[in-house]
Amino acid sequence: MPEKRFKYLSKEWADEVARRCKKTLTPEKMKNITSSMITIYNKCPDGKSRAVYYKLVKGVVETVSIVEGKLPQAEFSITSDYEVFAKISRAELKARAALMSGKMVLKGNLVKALTLSPTVDRLNEVIATIPTEY
Amino acid sequence: MPKKRLSKDDPYFVDNPKRVKAVQKQMAEHGIDVYLGSRLRTVSWIADVFCPWRTYVVIPPEGLPTVVTFVIDAARACDESWLDEEHVIGYGPMGGQDQVALLSMLMKPYLKGGKGVIGMETGMGNYLPEGHLTLFEFVMLKAAMPKATFKNAHDIIDRLSLIKDEGTINRFREASRQVDVGHREVLAAIKNGGFQKMTETEIAGLAAYAMRKAGSEWEWSFTGGNEIASGYRTGLAAGACTPASRRKLKAGDPLMVDLHAMFKLGLGDHSHNYFLGKATKRQMWHAKNFVDLMKQVLITYRAGITPTKLADEMLAFAEERGFQDYLVPGFEHGIGMMGDEWRIGLNNGPFQYWTNPDHVYRKNEMLICAVQYACPEENIGFRYENPILIKERNCEAMSRFPLSVNIV
Repeated sequence: MPEKRFKYLSKEWADEVARRCKKTLTPEKMKNITSSMITIYNKCPDGKSRAVYYKLVKGVVETVSIVEGKLPQAEFSITSDYEVFAKISRAELKARAALMSGKMVLKGNLVKALTLSPTVDRLNEVIATIPTEY
Repeated sequence: MPKKRLSKDDPYFVDNPKRVKAVQKQMAEHGIDVYLGSRLRTVSWIADVFCPWRTYVVIPPEGLPTVVTFVIDAARACDESWLDEEHVIGYGPMGGQDQVALLSMLMKPYLKGGKGVIGMETGMGNYLPEGHLTLFEFVMLKAAMPKATFKNAHDIIDRLSLIKDEGTINRFREASRQVDVGHREVLAAIKNGGFQKMTETEIAGLAAYAMRKAGSEWEWSFTGGNEIASGYRTGLAAGACTPASRRKLKAGDPLMVDLHAMFKLGLGDHSHNYFLGKATKRQMWHAKNFVDLMKQVLITYRAGITPTKLADEMLAFAEERGFQDYLVPGFEHGIGMMGDEWRIGLNNGPFQYWTNPDHVYRKNEMLICAVQYACPEENIGFRYENPILIKERNCEAMSRFPLSVNIV
């Protein structure tokens, strides 16, 4: 039976991200952090913009949700084109390289963002394991 | 909310929020919607922390300022500043986190419809780390906020920081005490022939170690830290800048020791002069000229006098004694918290960004009394520097190491 593939940025994909994160990422691995992040995808294939909202509480990935329209408040926001995020999700591009080359725009305290970047890398590594249809 | 503040009873207490409010009042009076400080002196005076990397401070019309510094130093700067981590942030080479992106993000909310007036700090200086806004920074910020008007506004900070408060004065006193510790250590090391086989850099280093042990944070001067000159280097024509060299000290040489210590951004700066082992009659004549002159200078500084008036009196004294040819005709330079050096007072003199020679000193201004005596043809010279506090009828010389030219 072929492995199930999830449509990128669909509710099912977000639920799968949350499920795998909870299963794989222990609070210790996530440094017990409490924070929130929103990734804003511009130029999606349908021409729209949408976002993914992540909420971590004491190292547990509590929320992963797809947002269209009004964006919730988050400690960090990262904005880029759909294709850049897709490359990161496919593990073809490192988030740090995208930030350093100006392909992504980060809003939020840079000192804290740098401190948290290894934990975000872990999150991206989990996302990269999800069979995804882009 | 601000996190760390010295108690009002602390001798080094500075009321930082009061400073910010005073700037904001001036901003309102000058029609400035948001102030962008980029000079080291402004950052020191507002944030009360040493920021060695390119740093900016954004002052809104009300509320707390935000310091924007290089990300590698932001956490340390925040740790030492009175401002919290929301108001000390780092910039770096990342999308949305470069200097222009962060500064425009911080300033735009105060520019209604993108329009408004940004106070900036531009100009010219002989002091390398002054920190005026660069042309590139200006062009990029203007591109990011095209409808905004940029107005040179550094006079606001210069005016407010001119008269020193008690906490700042006490910081200078402590830094000067540390410098005196350095001088005592140098004297102990070079006396009784101890100077033999020593180099200028060694003198600079042993003084630095002694001052650090006494609590100094840095030999703050950009002129190479502690300046040491021996032999002909003491008398370089019109010279008053001698980073220590590897020159070996020799008997019969003059030696000039100019030490710098920093305490909570207050600056110690004092020079002392020696003859190594022996001195000729002619050398002693020069030394007496210098010491007598300095005594005159130090009893002349007071509120109401101007640089020109003081120079006229001192040059007349030198002429009467026949050593006017050896005197570099300047007797002071400006000083304030770290980054505020050289120009005295406001930028209102006949030469832009130089001291106004007719500046009238007021009570609780501080300056570095700075005199250079140089006789290149005889390979001899002396330097005097000392932070002084202007008082109503006299001045307080902060370093107390006795004025003399010692034979050691």
